[in-house]
Parts: sequence; C-alpha cells; structure tokens
Amino acid sequence: MFNQGGLSLDQAPPISVVLRFFVTASIFGILLGLFLLSQSLNITTLSSYSTQIIAVHTLSLGVMASFMLGALFQMLPVLAGVVIKTPTIKAMMVHGLLSVGVFVQLFAFGISSNSLLFFLASAYLGSALFYAIYLMLKELLKIKTHSSSSKGIIFALLSLIFTVIFGIYLLLTLGGFTNGVDFTQIKEIHYSFALFGWVSLLIVSVSFQVVEMFYVTPSYPTNMSRYLTLTILGLLIFKTILTILDYSTNLLTATIAMLFLVYATVTINRLTQRKRPTADATVWFWLFGMALFILSMTIVVIGSFLTIDSTLQHLSYIAFIGFALSIVFAMVYKIVPFLTWFHLSNQGYMEAPMMHDVIHPKKAKIHFYIHFVTIVIWLLTTDITWLGSLLLTISFGWLFYNLIFAIRKYIYTQKHCEKIEWGV
Amino acid sequence: MKKFFLDARELAHPEPLRISLEYLKEMTEDDYFYMLNVRKPIPLLELAKGKGYTLFSHEDKNKNWHIIISKNPQHNLEELLDV
Repeated sequence: MFNQGGLSLDQAPPISVVLRFFVTASIFGILLGLFLLSQSLNITTLSSYSTQIIAVHTLSLGVMASFMLGALFQMLPVLAGVVIKTPTIKAMMVHGLLSVGVFVQLFAFGISSNSLLFFLASAYLGSALFYAIYLMLKELLKIKTHSSSSKGIIFALLSLIFTVIFGIYLLLTLGGFTNGVDFTQIKEIHYSFALFGWVSLLIVSVSFQVVEMFYVTPSYPTNMSRYLTLTILGLLIFKTILTILDYSTNLLTATIAMLFLVYATVTINRLTQRKRPTADATVWFWLFGMALFILSMTIVVIGSFLTIDSTLQHLSYIAFIGFALSIVFAMVYKIVPFLTWFHLSNQGYMEAPMMHDVIHPKKAKIHFYIHFVTIVIWLLTTDITWLGSLLLTISFGWLFYNLIFAIRKYIYTQKHCEKIEWGV
Repeated sequence: MKKFFLDARELAHPEPLRISLEYLKEMTEDDYFYMLNVRKPIPLLELAKGKGYTLFSHEDKNKNWHIIISKNPQHNLEELLDV
C-alpha cells in the first residue's frame, strides 16, 4: 500500500477525516435504497427521468464521491507520499460543501422548476469538488518521481475537473441560466469523464499499487501500469473534441472499453496468482467487481458497433455500478480495520483491538453475500424493483453498522484502555 | 543479543507492519529486529525513527530489503547485515 518514495503514516490524517466521508457515503446509500424502494412501491411518484437522475447523482456524488474523496485524503500520504497540511479542517470543508450540495442538487432534480436550487447546487458542488481537486493536485504535482499510481490519480483528478465543469454547465442549463447549446453532447462528455475518467481511472491507478501489496500478487505488466491511465485520458479528451465537432465517437468509446477489458482481465489473472490464497471477502469483492467491469465494458464495445436495446444498456450501467461499488467496499474493509488498529496501536493502547476485532472478516463476508445478491437481482430485473431496492438499503445499512461498530471500538479503547509510551 | 527476525516477503499488507510493531515494543536495549521484505517498508522506518529507534536498511542484489532496527544507538547495525 505504500509508496517507495517517502511517506509517514504519522503524517496520515486523523481517522475522523476518512470515517466522516465513509459514514456519510453509507447514509447516502441507505437513502438511495429507501428512495428507490418508495418509487418501486409508488409511495413517491416522480417521473422516470427525475428518478433516474436523482438515483444516478445520489450514487455518483453522495456515495461514490464521498467514498473516493475520503479514501484519497487518507491514501495520498501512503500511496503517493504527499501530505495535505491541516487535513481535518480542509476535509471538513469538502465534506460539508459536498453533502449540502448533494442534497440541494437532489431537491433541484425533484423540483425541476426552481432555478435557485440549480444555482446553489452548482455553487456548493463546484466549491466542494474544485477545492478537493486543488488540495490534492497541488501536492501531487510537486512529486519529482511519480509512481504509476500517483500519475494515474492525477489523471483521474483531471477527469474530475472536466466532469465538474460540464456538470455545472448542465445544472445551470437546467436552471435556465444558459441556453443549453449542445446539451446532449455535453451530457455525453460529462458522463464519459465521470465514469471512464474519474471513477475508472482512480480505481485502475490505486489498483496498480494495492492489489500487489494487499494480496501479494505478481506486478501488473510495466507497459500497462505506465501507459494505460494516460492513454485513456488522452482518448477521453480526443473523444470530447470529436463529440463537440459532432463526429462519431463509437470507435473511440470501443477502444477505451477494450483497454478496460484488458485491464480487468489482467487484474483477475493477478488475483488468481496470489501467493497466499485465503478466503478473504475483499478479494471476492475485487474479483466480482472485475467480472462486472468486463460485463459492462463488453456491452459498451458491442453497443459501439451494433444497435442494442435499452435492456442491454441498463445491464451495462448496472454492471458498472456493481463494479465501482465492489471495489469501494473492498477498499473500505481493508482501510477501516487497518486505520483503527494502527492509530490506536500507535497511540500506545496495549489492548488496541486487532484488525479482525474492528470489523470481523465474517461481517465483510456477509456484506459480500448481500452485495452479490443485490447486484444479481438488479442485473436480472434491469429495473427498479422493491426487492432490488430493499437489498440495496440492507447492503448500505450493513456497511453503516460495521463502520459505527468500528468507531465505537475506537472510542471505547481511547476511553477505557490503558495507554503506554513506547519507543526509546 | 537477541534477534527478532521477520521474513515479510510473502506477507500481505498490513501483516508486516503489525508484526514489526509487536517486536519493536517487545525488544529490550540489547535486542535487535531484522526484517526481510520485497519493498522498503517506509512507514515502519518512519514510525521507528519517530520513536527514537536506530535503523539500517539495505537492498541486496536480489532486490530484497534488509531492515535492521535497534533501541540501542551504540549498536553497529551494518555489522549485523546478513547477505
């Protein structure tokens, strides 16, 4: 998990920084599940468009962005050797602006005639995300010798910049502040950078370091770890230009998807070559996530050359969501027990809970089973059903419970256990 | 002089760090900790440095890292290197 170029876990932010984001993400996940449940049971009756856009943005911003930014605040010191100074206050600002921004945006999507809400949503979300990007890019760009991970994280953050810029344009258009020239094309670019760029590139970049480190696997091929993320960012920018010029981008989309297919296949291959294969839920999450990524990208490739129906398209979206969530869950179940143990141990608590006491591996396995069934149900139905929505709520509810359990362990240890000074 | 040895070359993160910290806490002034790893364990080294331990690290021709840590600054850690 660690960069070779110099870092200190002592320089890592306090545990509250990352847990704040993770807990919020779980709450947004629960709210998403409940929202979809209420839609499927006709308790709420929003239009299909409003439902989709609310669900997509609760997931992408409330859930995914919270998890990913929280993980980045924590992992930049250990993955890239960079330190964000006074992280607590900065993370709190990002977290606050993002959380408020997500709620305002969701209300804007639900009450679509309110211009002020769209303006406020773009202001809150723009401030939160640009500030987070600034904090991270500023430090990352100072690195003299980059690893494949640190380079890839830069490209993922650049993709996030494009995502946010185009997203703000779309919000302002929906609010009536711009005339919405090229709205459809901009929407396509916004989604491309969000999904292929921000989410996928970040996962790819992080995996180059953590898969080998967490699971003792052979390294990724050098050419892949060195060039894949840059190539994909380049293709995304080229795709943007062609989209704006109104040229077909099918070939480019297919190329990006095929590169991801190769990456996912190599990742599965590496994970199956673990030197010490053990039944670890986080490996299952990774394997399941990569299988879903392969499914999603295969449909994207097919859809680039042939006309596919909406069911197949939905299948691709659901598989992609399943992929992203699987990897996020895998990371959370590695990060939280480690951080809880590490911070307590480093503070000198002799009876600091071991990692498996913080979140027992069995609890992570239970989450994997719930998550697996949830995604399978969604893939089989490709629609909003009460069962799929209920399972989604349970999945995030279980994660929320596990996080709260870890936090309570942390607080309990600090309050009740003996502390010793160790060292020389 | 007791040697606490850990071959971490096939251990998944964060086991090497966890075991190392246990050894460091257990060691007396006369003991030393010797670790073999496939990568330089920067977090462990930074942590040990921060706690006042004396350190030595060396990468051999097989790209294995030899890490030696002691509480006693009088120990010549380089002499303990086993390559």
